[in-house]
Amino acid sequence: MLRYLVLFALAGYALADDIECCSVEDRSEMQTMWREVWSASFTGRRVQVAQAVFADLFARDPESKGLFERVNVNVFNSPEFRAHCIRIVGGLDNIIGLLDDPDTLKLQLLHLADQHYDRKGIRKSHFQEISHSFAKVMPQVSSCFNADAWNRCFGSVVTRIASRLED
Amino acid sequence: MMYAVLIVLGLAASALATHECGPLQRLKVKHQWAEAYGTHGVHREEFAREVWHNIFEHAPAAKDMFDRVRGDNTYSPEFSAHMVRVFGGLDMCISLLNDEATLNAALAHLKDQHKERSIPADYFTLMENAIHDVVPHFVVHNTHFDKDAWDACFEVVANGIKS
Repeated sequence: MLRYLVLFALAGYALADDIECCSVEDRSEMQTMWREVWSASFTGRRVQVAQAVFADLFARDPESKGLFERVNVNVFNSPEFRAHCIRIVGGLDNIIGLLDDPDTLKLQLLHLADQHYDRKGIRKSHFQEISHSFAKVMPQVSSCFNADAWNRCFGSVVTRIASRLED
Repeated sequence: MMYAVLIVLGLAASALATHECGPLQRLKVKHQWAEAYGTHGVHREEFAREVWHNIFEHAPAAKDMFDRVRGDNTYSPEFSAHMVRVFGGLDMCISLLNDEATLNAALAHLKDQHKERSIPADYFTLMENAIHDVVPHFVVHNTHFDKDAWDACFEVVANGIKS
């Protein structure tokens, strides 16, 4: 009996690493938190949130800057890097919107996994780092931030996007 | 005399103003887009799917460009994910209408991505027309849809992407 319990616990743990640990309630929470911060009506807001995330990432891991040379990372406020920040966080916006539609979500995550696999030098650890950056920036712009729900959903999304990368 | 000239100038200016993508038109388009686009994926897909159906209705041959993402079935997850990406890109451009330098950098990037697909220029017009037909049904009252502002501002975006 005990053996079965252990097996179940292990199976549960393996699942917890996947999309399943981001529950329906978590998804809805995440969408609500995000909607508050992100709307096409407010340009400045989007750029600022996106830049704050990357500023935090570069403070955590200065070497990760090297991954973004193609988009003029050395001039942090340049149009090229601002546009890059917006693309990344816009991609997250797509994903959060798709939390209601798991079939499409899975394919979009696969597409993003391929895009990141094609870029040299990106590792799973970079996704861990940027997850911490989001977890730090979001509560500063979102009122009533639910960190647990956010982290569960963010974690499961990132696990898929980074699935083809090395540690 | 002077008064008449002023009136004529005033009329000319207002006629011009309705067809340019000026700062005020940009604000309005951003607002109407945000309303139409919404936040939930399922709603966004319904919105985007109507735009695509409109395009394919007017140009059935356009479907062939989307073989890789199942243009033959706009309800498939493959095509849905594709629509979400395209509309995500459009959302990005519209949100940047008031930040010209960043908008131009974003458009240059999209231009690169579209170059290899060699999309005929009139497909952008198809998309523009489809947006006229569909967006009004996704804003609160379709009488509020500002077609002139949308035309002018959509062209700013399309011209930035076309090769």
